[in-house]
Amino acid sequence: MSNSPLLSVSNLCVSFNTPDGVVQAVNDVSFDLFPGQTLGIVGESGSGKSVTASSLLRLNNSVTSTTTGSVQLEGRDVLTVDEPTMRSIRGQDIAMVFQDPLSALNPYYTVGDQIAEAYIIHHSSATKDDVRARVLEMLKKVGIPNPEKRIDEYPHQFSGGMRQRIVIAIALINSPRILIADEPTTALDVTVQAQILDLMLDLQRETGMAIILITHDLGVVAEVADSTLVMYGGRIVERATVSEIFATPTHPYSWGLLGAVGSLDTSTRGHLTTIPGTPPSLISLPTGCSFHPRCAYAKDTGSRCTTEVPELHKVSGTSSSSACHMSDAQLVSLGARGDTL
Amino acid sequence: MLLFVTRRILFALALLLAVSFFTYMLFAMLPADPAALTCGKNCKPEIIEANRVRLGYDKPLLEQYWLFIKGFFVGRDYGVGAAAFSCPAPSLGYSFSQHECVTTLIARTFPVTFYLSLGAFILWMTLGIGLGTIAALKRGRWQDRAATTFSAVGVSLPTFYIGLLVLFSFCIWLRILPFPSYESPFEDPLSFLTTMILPWTTLAVLSAAGYTRLTRNGMLEAMNEDFVRLGIAKGLRRRTIIRKYVLRSALVPIVTIAGLDFAALLGGAIITESVFSLPGMGRMSIRAVVESDLPVLVGTTMTAAVFIVLANVVVDVLYGVLDPRVRSK
Amino acid sequence: MTKRRIIGAVSFALAASVLAAACGGGSDSGGGDGEAKKGGTIRILTSGEQIAHLDPQRNYTGSDLAFAGTTMHRSLTSYKYEEGDAGSEIAGDLATDTGTASNEGKTWAFTLRDGITFEDGSAITCADVAYGVSRSFATDVITDGPTYAISYIDVADYPGPYTATAEQQAAYDKAVACEGNTITFNLKNPVADFNYTTTLLTFSPVPKAKDNGEKYDMNPVSSGPYKIESYEVGKSLVLVRNENWNADSDELRKAYADSIVYEFGLEEATIDERMIADAGDDQFAVSEGIQPENLQTIFENGDEALKARSVDYYDPYVSYTNLNNENLSCYEVRKAIYLALDREALRKAGGGPYTGDFADGFVKPALALDYAKSTMPEGYNTDGSANVEAAKAAVAEAETKCPDVVARAKSGLNFYYPDTPTWQKSLAIWQDNLGAIGFKLKPEAVEPSQYWPTVMNPETDYDIARGGWAPDWANASTVIPELFTTGGGFNLTRNSKDADYAEFEGLVNAAKVNLDRVAQGKQWQELNQYVVDRLWALPGSFLKAQSIWGSKVGNTFQWGPFGAFCFGNLYVK
Repeated sequence: MSNSPLLSVSNLCVSFNTPDGVVQAVNDVSFDLFPGQTLGIVGESGSGKSVTASSLLRLNNSVTSTTTGSVQLEGRDVLTVDEPTMRSIRGQDIAMVFQDPLSALNPYYTVGDQIAEAYIIHHSSATKDDVRARVLEMLKKVGIPNPEKRIDEYPHQFSGGMRQRIVIAIALINSPRILIADEPTTALDVTVQAQILDLMLDLQRETGMAIILITHDLGVVAEVADSTLVMYGGRIVERATVSEIFATPTHPYSWGLLGAVGSLDTSTRGHLTTIPGTPPSLISLPTGCSFHPRCAYAKDTGSRCTTEVPELHKVSGTSSSSACHMSDAQLVSLGARGDTL
Repeated sequence: MLLFVTRRILFALALLLAVSFFTYMLFAMLPADPAALTCGKNCKPEIIEANRVRLGYDKPLLEQYWLFIKGFFVGRDYGVGAAAFSCPAPSLGYSFSQHECVTTLIARTFPVTFYLSLGAFILWMTLGIGLGTIAALKRGRWQDRAATTFSAVGVSLPTFYIGLLVLFSFCIWLRILPFPSYESPFEDPLSFLTTMILPWTTLAVLSAAGYTRLTRNGMLEAMNEDFVRLGIAKGLRRRTIIRKYVLRSALVPIVTIAGLDFAALLGGAIITESVFSLPGMGRMSIRAVVESDLPVLVGTTMTAAVFIVLANVVVDVLYGVLDPRVRSK
Repeated sequence: MTKRRIIGAVSFALAASVLAAACGGGSDSGGGDGEAKKGGTIRILTSGEQIAHLDPQRNYTGSDLAFAGTTMHRSLTSYKYEEGDAGSEIAGDLATDTGTASNEGKTWAFTLRDGITFEDGSAITCADVAYGVSRSFATDVITDGPTYAISYIDVADYPGPYTATAEQQAAYDKAVACEGNTITFNLKNPVADFNYTTTLLTFSPVPKAKDNGEKYDMNPVSSGPYKIESYEVGKSLVLVRNENWNADSDELRKAYADSIVYEFGLEEATIDERMIADAGDDQFAVSEGIQPENLQTIFENGDEALKARSVDYYDPYVSYTNLNNENLSCYEVRKAIYLALDREALRKAGGGPYTGDFADGFVKPALALDYAKSTMPEGYNTDGSANVEAAKAAVAEAETKCPDVVARAKSGLNFYYPDTPTWQKSLAIWQDNLGAIGFKLKPEAVEPSQYWPTVMNPETDYDIARGGWAPDWANASTVIPELFTTGGGFNLTRNSKDADYAEFEGLVNAAKVNLDRVAQGKQWQELNQYVVDRLWALPGSFLKAQSIWGSKVGNTFQWGPFGAFCFGNLYVK
């Protein structure tokens, strides 16, 4: 892992204007991504993790949303570069895999066309034969059997898992340095999930790209990621390496998440049913720490949790950072439960 | 594919047979007595009876229908002695009020309706899809509001009054255009154009309204599709995305509706033809209703049915071309 | 069908007829100002889809007769192409004069002029005229035309030329005989005014070689100054000069315009708007009928120039109400019904004063010789309002005279009406009016196209039925006998059992054969009063119509006999 980050996100804020009011979807998010790293971003739906991911490619609606902060990619700020530059970044530097492979492919064109399209846009001088060869190579690489035949088929002729392989092929055909995978396995059968994750890791080993893996499933993070960001209510509440987050989580929300992992069998894990209450409304976030209505320890800190937004700070005794008003010692002692896993 | 086409054609033929049959039966149930229609001063029972014989309504309904079907394949003879004449196959009967074989009448009036429909169709699809696209791309801005207002107003306007208003404005008050007087485009293209421009525009503007809304909504819906986001994430140009991803998927339902709308128009744009004095099939069929002219009524109904059936087949095929998911089923 | 006929509330579907003598109600025509000149194109705008019948033997409506007769089809005689009373005088057309009667009016002879030709240049012969007349006998092919030839000509069971056997044809050729240039008609009974009958296009020539029966309607051969250049139903009829027409052989037709274009299938609202705007080619246009909503604009808004090129005139129709005199066999009851009616309200329901004036009988003033103002029943209000008191008095009188008829009226009279919006309104007024004197109605709505067949069926037990009539030529012989004698074609009064009927019929028959036209006119006047005195039917309105023409059209008078333009003599100013 190199010391200079590939991608550096600082103070990212994204808000949406909706008829019901302003939704503060992402609030003051900062993190670095290093070459070859696999960063897991974990949270419930509505935590801001997907919006964070799509901000990195400027995919949010420019009319209804406002984005501030900066996303540095090799000296360029992704949030402010002009449109042609942005187009060259998309797909080439940063590629993306979406949650639902059933809807991510254009039903009106063959998969070959769609993979080729991603290649041609960044390789305008490539000949037809080159492109086809490249597409076939990618199809083989992502494990599509009989690619010569299937290259001319339409998305609906493929199974969900196969379609996700095609989406990955599209994402990887330009050998991007960063792959953003937004819940890439959620919509798939459990058996297929593992295959897709393995495929991504294999390809990562081959190309050395960095991966940002958006998921609500800590189990997935445990399998593939190096480090983790836990998001809640649009903010990062904990940053830790994967080993630390499982050994010594330092935020009450993470404890809840881990409880969910530990207490449930694999078929329903990730549903976070053990955390009481519901995720907050992003239109009117609770004051202070937005997790306080669901937090069992909020009363221990007097009124701070309901009035003051906790800063993300380094927790002494660990390499993790946490956004909680409890003292570091309390966090470490309450979080030290690695043996439960 | 061959099986598909064969099945469609057989189905269409059966449908046409049914349409003609039911038109006959429905007509028989009408209270108006066609034999008595031209009666008046001479309205004595024996004259009405003679009329009935002359028009062929004295025969049992099923026999009348059989003669009609037979006539289609072998032609049909009318009258006796020196006054006899015939309508050659494919005969749809003879109109005693227009003194002409129905097939000839349709061959004469259908092109008018066809040109009217085709011109209006091209205009309205262009206008409707164009405005809808602009509205979707400029969502929430004035262009969108203007297009949305247009479509809300357009669908609720009565063709008859708008037609008259347009006609009076351009031909009587402003005198920019001569009064419509239909000529064949092959004989007098200029007169054809000056006659058709107003009905085309009227029909197009009124029909485009619905398509504006369809296109706008379809595109906005498509813009939220994951595959559109993936397209952007690939680094595709906005223009490419709109064309290959958004419009393409918005168009699929439009094609279906447009095909049927066009076919319905071919059955006769009654109001537009009346307002602009176009000697088309729609006006002829209305006249046939008023005059209880069964042969013309059956003829125009059948022609309309042919086009609706045909449009359904075309739409099905187009649908397959446009949407591979349908094709493989 | 022209708009005029639609406006005339009573007259729809009554395949019409012709009237005599000009009337010029109200503002009179913009006739012969300036010098008539040749050239140009006259246009006729109509909402109709075609001429009802261009085949001379099938043509039977006022305006169509005026159009076809003045442009394409010459007959043996014709009304003079004149404005006013002179327009209902007759003159020889194909014939050199108005014919010669002999055998007490049972034989009529006409001598054809020299130089009369068809459009192909061939001479019109006596045989062509005889053939034309013979066609009208073929009622299975030549429909909708007048049937006078059939009822007058002395030939039995002649089926027309298409299916006649040699014997049948020989019998006809004897009844309608040709000798050189003279055609002789042998009639079953004396017909004093047969030379008026011969103004009908029934008596136009048709070249046998060109006759294609039913289809002749679309391409009839011209004997007049114009011939068909193109005729497309729903679009237009274009007439151009017939170069083979010999002007010297024709004292009536001036043929000023080079062509006459009939434009079909126009929206009615459009026609009025174009005529009022008077722009471009529409300056050379004429149109019969004006939409009710435009009448005020034209006649009452003070635009004198506009008013000067339009006319509000009497058309040939009279509307009236038939009573079934078998059921209502009591004068006092009939009188009570008549006096109880609010005729003003009924006229308003039908469209108001522009539809017509209250009639004082069944013969229009336009039939100048045959009309005299009638004495109306006591208590009749000339302003059209009901006289309920007088009506009640009549009921009281009837109670003693004919209690059973009153009882019938109180239990409900069968009122047959065409199921149209106007008649639904009228029905309500009738019910209201008769209710005021204790009478009731049992309404029977009839599908409009079935109306005449229904009430003309002797089985139909109506008490009250509508009526509307126009004379077939300028003689009340086509009114009084038709409407009130058992031999008439349109007698719906069922008056044959009336005590006075025998006397009435005797008087009618005497009038019919009176060759002294003025004396005959007196007889018709008295017979009209005879009917009014007995109220076998209730007079309604003398119907009116309106026409408009462009500022550059001359000779626009309304021709009395037809209540239409004298189309062929219109000219471009």
